[in-house]
Amino acid sequence: MRAADMSGAETTGTTGTLHVAGLSKSFGATRVLDEVSFAVEPGRFLVLLGPSGSGKTTLLRCLAGIERADAGSIRLGGRTLAEGRTHLPPDKRELAMVFQDYALWPHMTAAGNVGYALRRRRPGREESATKVASALTRVGLGEHAERYPHQLSGGQQQRVALARALVAEPGLLLFDEPLSNLDADLRERLRVEIATLTRESGATVVYITHDQAEAFALADTVGVLEQGRLVQLASPEDVYQRPASPFVARFTGLAGELAGRVADTPHLGRVLCATAAGPLVATAIGTHQDGAAVQLLLRPAAVVLAAEGGPDADAPSGSLAGTVADTAYRGRGYDHVVELSDGTRLTGVFDRRPRPRGTRVRVTVDPDGCFAYPASASQAEPDAVTPINRTPVEVS
Amino acid sequence: MTDTTLTPGPVATARPDRGSPPGGLARVGRAVRPQAVATLRLLPWGLFAAVLLLPVAGFLLVAVSPRLFAQGDAWFTLAPFQQVLSGWTAHALLDSLAVGAGAALLATAVAVALAWLTERTTLAGRGLWRLLLWALLLAPSYLESLGWTWLVEPQGVLDRLLGQDPVWLRSAVFGPAGVIWVLASRGVPFAYLAVTALLRGLGREFEDAARTHGGGRLATARVLLPMLAPALWAAFAIVFAESVSDYGVAATLASQGDFPLLTGAMEQSIATFPADFPLASAMGWLLLALVGLALLAQRRSLRGRSYQVLSGRTRPARRTRLGALRQTAALAGVGTFFVLAAGVPAFGAAAASLLPSGGRVSAASLGLANFRHVLRSGEMTSALGYSARLAAITACAAVVLGAVAGRALARQGGGRAGRLLDLLLLAAIALPSVLLASGYIFTYNLPFASSLGIDLYGTTALLVLGYLAGALPSAARLLSGPLGQVSDSLLWAARIHGRRPVAAWAGAVLPLVAGSLVWAWLIAFCGTLLELPVSQLLAPPGQEPLSVAVTRQLQGYDLGAGAAMTVLVVAGALVLIGLVLGALRLFLPAARSLEALT
Repeated sequence: MRAADMSGAETTGTTGTLHVAGLSKSFGATRVLDEVSFAVEPGRFLVLLGPSGSGKTTLLRCLAGIERADAGSIRLGGRTLAEGRTHLPPDKRELAMVFQDYALWPHMTAAGNVGYALRRRRPGREESATKVASALTRVGLGEHAERYPHQLSGGQQQRVALARALVAEPGLLLFDEPLSNLDADLRERLRVEIATLTRESGATVVYITHDQAEAFALADTVGVLEQGRLVQLASPEDVYQRPASPFVARFTGLAGELAGRVADTPHLGRVLCATAAGPLVATAIGTHQDGAAVQLLLRPAAVVLAAEGGPDADAPSGSLAGTVADTAYRGRGYDHVVELSDGTRLTGVFDRRPRPRGTRVRVTVDPDGCFAYPASASQAEPDAVTPINRTPVEVS
Repeated sequence: MTDTTLTPGPVATARPDRGSPPGGLARVGRAVRPQAVATLRLLPWGLFAAVLLLPVAGFLLVAVSPRLFAQGDAWFTLAPFQQVLSGWTAHALLDSLAVGAGAALLATAVAVALAWLTERTTLAGRGLWRLLLWALLLAPSYLESLGWTWLVEPQGVLDRLLGQDPVWLRSAVFGPAGVIWVLASRGVPFAYLAVTALLRGLGREFEDAARTHGGGRLATARVLLPMLAPALWAAFAIVFAESVSDYGVAATLASQGDFPLLTGAMEQSIATFPADFPLASAMGWLLLALVGLALLAQRRSLRGRSYQVLSGRTRPARRTRLGALRQTAALAGVGTFFVLAAGVPAFGAAAASLLPSGGRVSAASLGLANFRHVLRSGEMTSALGYSARLAAITACAAVVLGAVAGRALARQGGGRAGRLLDLLLLAAIALPSVLLASGYIFTYNLPFASSLGIDLYGTTALLVLGYLAGALPSAARLLSGPLGQVSDSLLWAARIHGRRPVAAWAGAVLPLVAGSLVWAWLIAFCGTLLELPVSQLLAPPGQEPLSVAVTRQLQGYDLGAGAAMTVLVVAGALVLIGLVLGALRLFLPAARSLEALT
């Protein structure tokens, strides 16, 4: 949608496309945001995913108007929020935000908090009361309107913050890691509520998190930030199935990594690689030359324990030999840690049946979940050597 | 669908042509802005330091270079120091040192016991004891001295009530023991504040760890006590610094008991005619050295050790149950302390104000004659009015400036400006007010001050400046805590949900800090209302601040009138505190529900 089409649009409920172009920001010598550009169409849900220090919080604060970018522009529909010397203060941006620490005003009741955010619309007394009550009911807190924040649990507090953000029907909703202070069970319930309520409201959403499971579950589009740069912007499926870089692959969950060499010229996007643990067929990302060093990154879901780990001769071709180093019961089945013959450990190898520790097993690797990057690509990154310890995620 | 690139539209390309000159300016503006902003932020504090602290620097210079200020012949000399380090001033220096150390030791010991009893045991009346500590904190040291004085002096309260002169008690009170006791009891609240935060936060996990690894009760205490070391050192250093720089006791108890102290000697060499500024300045150096020594000792003792015992995981401490016997003993101990620190002086003042000015004492002769006399004479009312006005002005200025400074202090990564401010405030807190006032008298009396058009000497404005220099640093420190606790996101949440800056601050932050602001105002007001050293030295001719009027009454041996005046003012201040806090509760009911949190 072109910006011009939106010039006459109301600021509530619907809004124009959010355009961010060339946004840069430095704190002293540290470049926190480096030429970040993206666009979010009205009503779409963008999740910005990145580790701490990747600049995602700064980016969100720039969108909110709390931080002033050094360069670049932010436009929402026909309005310029920031560009050059223009910097609309937060109160003029017609948006709402849910904070990581909730930021509920402790001297106001739940209804007071929600009502305070509604006052920008200058409603009448009755209209205000109705809207506040309905917003609180929508988040399941109709009974708790007169409670103060400290009388509410963490999950309830974040629900009040959600109601406060939704009540004035802003065109743009910002979420700053809203679930990170909650325990696992509550996170999942509140995630569903955020997904439902924001889509009902029709607002454009920018949501930041460091949790890839949360990102995949919520997003229409996922943007991955690495050291201030937007390194991939795509649908959750694309990010999972074709991570743009080893960093993205690591950050979105791996079973393990292997070093190897290209054993054959790539064919139809597949490449055969020789590793110390055995030969593997992988999805080729980037250009590969015969004999060149590669880095192989394996998704947990792509690693499957072969039917029975009998003698090596009976083993299915293309499988790797290893030993079970750990078995963890996960309810649906068992997560195994398998140590391959070269000492590499693969974590999160799932099977319905347990294999006791010390059992010799064979694993097969699905080429769709095994990515081969030219080794130089990952060596260029300083911290690529140390794999990021992340809980593997399965996206089916 | 979204994409990472933006096709440059016609608007985007047109813009640079149309607006290139402003664009260029904008770039320059952006490059300059951070530094300009940093400088602008520093400017007010620089100005402040110039007005408040430079005079003191000038005053300190005069000791080594009297000629520079036309106070002597030498461009550089150490003669004033030789003079100070011999004779009775040397005696005063040693006395100050001994009294400071004694008071600090006593106060720290009492404060640890009090803090342990109120924070870690089920002692009865914990709220009351904490309230009394606040009262001690608010009352200036000369009030306690006066209370004792009225009690034990010849023709004093005890003499006339018992019909017998309490000579032995007088010699104790008007000597090292009395001075140390008054200074120590004044220091206990400071030491208590230093110790109690750590003691409260020192979670039971350390205790549990010691016990589960086989430590007995005594061994556990031996493990825990060194963990308190930073707080103990801080308490000792604060009380020592406060005691050696105290002027109220030096001007009352010590001066009557022929027990010279450094601050008293300093005031005398300035107040006598002709004023000997180089000598006073040399004493100022020694005073600073003593204060610096205490702070240095505190730093040295902690070097290389980390005492981060407070963390988010710290669990609240468990209170020890006191049995009936130990409860009684503890109550008796705490009660004795407060009776000696506050009760006896209060009794002295009250009794002295109720006794007739002469003649025999009987129950019938007790009366309100002194109060009537004081109220009718107009002397008291004009002094009270004058001091109250100045105190109100000082308190308002201290709260506003202190809030701004406190906010800057609380900001993490405040950078150079923040560190500089921190240093300035620390220096101002450590500066004894006698030294501060001496610096003002000296510098603003210099010929160049009036040639610069700064005619502050002998004006009420200078007196207010002096008060402010005393009240501002502690107000800033006091406010930096609560202001730092208010998360930035509360303010930003209000801005993002549509409030302009002022409205956002008033709606989202002010209600949360209003209580602290009011407290800071009250402390600054009460402290200034009865402030002695700055008033004594800087009061303009023809105007008499309250504290000066009260001490003059005492020196003129109109005991009854002086005591009546004091009782009236203290009662008035208490009523004011009660009224203000009551109003705060009434108009800010949310403050109450928040208190439940802490």
